[in-house]
Amino acid sequence: MANGVSARRYSAVAILLHWASALAVLVLIGIGLTMTHAALAPLRQFQLYQWHKSVGVTVLALTALRVLWRLTHRPPPQPAGMPARERRAAAAAHHLLYLLLVGLPLTGWAVVSLSPFNIPTVLYGIVPWPHLPLAGLVPDPAAAEGILKRVHALGAWVLAALLAVHVAAALRHHFLLRDDVLRRMLPGRRPSTAPIVEPTR
Amino acid sequence: MNTRHLGRLAAPQRALSGVLLGALLGALPGAALPASAAEWTVDPAKSAIRFSGVQVGVPFTGRFEAAVEFDPAKPEAGHATVLVDLASARTGDVQRDEALPQKDWFDVKGSSTARFEATRFVDKGQGDYAATGTLTIRGTSRPVTLPFHLAVEGGAAHATGRVGLVRTEFGVGQGAWASGQWVALDVGVEVDLVATARSASGH
Repeated sequence: MANGVSARRYSAVAILLHWASALAVLVLIGIGLTMTHAALAPLRQFQLYQWHKSVGVTVLALTALRVLWRLTHRPPPQPAGMPARERRAAAAAHHLLYLLLVGLPLTGWAVVSLSPFNIPTVLYGIVPWPHLPLAGLVPDPAAAEGILKRVHALGAWVLAALLAVHVAAALRHHFLLRDDVLRRMLPGRRPSTAPIVEPTR
Repeated sequence: MNTRHLGRLAAPQRALSGVLLGALLGALPGAALPASAAEWTVDPAKSAIRFSGVQVGVPFTGRFEAAVEFDPAKPEAGHATVLVDLASARTGDVQRDEALPQKDWFDVKGSSTARFEATRFVDKGQGDYAATGTLTIRGTSRPVTLPFHLAVEGGAAHATGRVGLVRTEFGVGQGAWASGQWVALDVGVEVDLVATARSASGH
């Protein structure tokens, strides 16, 4: 019954999770760059760090949901004429995106947990969030924090670069190859119209 | 708010804090009050111990739950003990309240009680007094004088005092917090107690 629909489009849940993550990641990159590079008043800088932590944990949760959803729901297939090399590149890029969407929040969480400032995380100023129990595991927490900070920052740049590739690829599919790769992830369309329209093309 | 916090004190503690102001009052030479300390009861709804500080340039205030002990056998000795429950610190900010009990700050796992033991009361005139004693936080003891004003009116006594402290003198703010860069070193503690004579409250 709905097979024709779900085979062509991502499910509403997958679409929602995707765009919520996208928005949150853009916010995180913006906050992250600002809080580490702008000359801010201490209060503003402190507040941005707290926002960064809250949104970062949100991305971690969204990514966990997405992975669960992805493992239990088949995504729509790639366009029929897509070259094998591109399929592999797309798969690799998507795997790397998932890896970064898990790894960046985790390294950020580890940095917060190892920081000599030991500042509690309270999500959106409301829900207390624990530290990772790392302090007892590493001989030199301050050194470990320094290394993880660099890994986190480096990972953020890799993610930003990969997002640029991701967006460019989606736009290439939409405007140059004129397939439905971007459309199937766009919200707001009646899915029921898709199977009727698509076979006529 | 006052009622809620002080109301949480266990009954014996509340009884003790009831004795407290009586203790202070009774110990004061020349205070125009009934001689017996036990005849005064602190009104928890109107009494509080507050603290204030400055974090990243922004002032904040908080409050503690506290109990006050007094040896009624020797009121003239001017001896009083204030026990502040450091774990009860609330500032209206969840993050700050999460941080305060931890080892960099109050380290409540080490000792959750701050203790002010006043051993001398000096009458400064005009209702002003100074309670001198020892304040112990995080195992560090230092001499502290708490100046306070006492007003007695219509069977109610109102004592207000404020003392400024340098938090690092007591080890409050370890490591990265031992400088005033993010959280100012100067903090204030305010004592605001209201007591009524028991006879006035129908005893």
